Amino acid sequence: MLARISYAFRETWASFKRNVTLTAAAVVTSAVSLLLVGSTFLIQRAFDNLLTRWKGDVELIVYVRSDASPEQIAFIQEAIESQPTIIDVSKVRYLNQAESYAEAQKLFAGDPGTLRLLTPENIPSQFKVVPISDDSNLIRELGESFRGVEGVREVAYAQDVFDVVSRVSQFIRVSTTVMSVVLLLVAIGLIWNTIRTAMFARRREIEVMKLVGATNWFIRIPFMLEGLLQGLIGGVLSCAGLWGLNTAWSNAVTEFNDTELAALVVSDGYARWVMVTLLVIGAVAGAIGSGIAASRFLDV
Amino acid sequence: MIRLESVTKSYNPEVTALRDASFEVAKGEFVFLVGPSGSGKSTILRLMNRQEQPEKGEVWVAGKDINSMPDSNIPFLRRKIGNIFQDYKLLLNKTVFENVAFALEVIGRPKHVIGQQVPAVLDLVGLSDKEDRFPHQLSGGEQQRVSIARAFVNRPLILLADEPTGNLDPATGEGIMRLLDRINGTGTTVVMATHDQRIVNQMRKRVVQLDRGVIVRDQERGVYD
Repeated sequence: MLARISYAFRETWASFKRNVTLTAAAVVTSAVSLLLVGSTFLIQRAFDNLLTRWKGDVELIVYVRSDASPEQIAFIQEAIESQPTIIDVSKVRYLNQAESYAEAQKLFAGDPGTLRLLTPENIPSQFKVVPISDDSNLIRELGESFRGVEGVREVAYAQDVFDVVSRVSQFIRVSTTVMSVVLLLVAIGLIWNTIRTAMFARRREIEVMKLVGATNWFIRIPFMLEGLLQGLIGGVLSCAGLWGLNTAWSNAVTEFNDTELAALVVSDGYARWVMVTLLVIGAVAGAIGSGIAASRFLDV
Repeated sequence: MIRLESVTKSYNPEVTALRDASFEVAKGEFVFLVGPSGSGKSTILRLMNRQEQPEKGEVWVAGKDINSMPDSNIPFLRRKIGNIFQDYKLLLNKTVFENVAFALEVIGRPKHVIGQQVPAVLDLVGLSDKEDRFPHQLSGGEQQRVSIARAFVNRPLILLADEPTGNLDPATGEGIMRLLDRINGTGTTVVMATHDQRIVNQMRKRVVQLDRGVIVRDQERGVYD
């Protein structure tokens, strides 16, 4: 038994050294595809965090015209606070023009064109309102009633933004999943090809082994081990890449600490879980690719 | 030890490699299969270790119908059969010792068994002093001896030899035949395909002659034709 195990490892290592270029290609491809798989997980998680946070936060924003008088603003506030069955009065928050402008600086950080048009003088101030009712129709009815109040410029529903972000998140989920599955198949194909090449290079040996009565599994196992190892190394590389990406991402997002965007940070615990998953997927993909090759090309 | 019963084998619809062939080889026997190229000699050898399967008929080896055995048993059948080829089929990146040890290693024999049996069989074939050489450092006859050592190291019941002297000069070929004769003397059944007239006439063993896939002669202590 010991002789068999040491044989398998010796042959695996020898084959690894023989096929450096092909092995590197297979390893890098599986690393990249697994990195994409991991990123899909993390992006998804970040969106989920963000959406969860939003749900419990502002759902209704009443924008006030920039030229509204203090009396009008007070009247609007009164109108909002007169609905304690629908909204959470204690959480009504008023952002004056300066505060709204500061918020806009962050929200439109990526859109300098829009930002140039805004000044602390022309920007609408806003009431952020948190509903307590779950009935979105009721909330919408209330919002519409505010539109008629003098000085109100616009009423926005977080639900609308929420829906857009959901759709975006859904789109990203589908497209990254498709891409990573395709890349994963490519990685399996490359591992398959590496093993096929390795087996072809050793067809004389395999022929002799079969003639002297080596079992198929004995012949196969070093090759399958080689493929599994390629997948696993790809997995390790992708984990390193993912850890780097997640750290950079977390640092970047932390700069928006006082906005909802901070919810985009993914916890280390979840990232670790994703890494373990990547290792498992890598090993399984390698075993599948090499297993198919080893069974298919044993008849040399 | 080996029995073919009405065996027919064709590789494609036009060419029949072997037609309705029946013969039996007793334990410890030495049999020459003779005939021109393409007459079916190699096919018979390939049927005996189940590298090929017949369309019709049965092949019995060591008491088993080898075409009805599951694929997973083939390796164990082959451990009872040694194979020698015209082109030796040695592994060029391995030394003499490693080539012979390989046959034991890949059937999972432990190191101490390999350490005992390999030197013993190299001694038998007369290559004790060359166990660290590589195949390209050996003459053709020596290479064939290595391949015989590899085929015999596991003490098989049967030795199948396909033109083992085909690439060798007559004197070297005779040396190989003496070695096979000695191995046969230990009780190993030997079946050898050849079209080397001189050797067949010299050895005076049983001769099975083939012509276009048909057995045309089966003679004790026979000559080539």
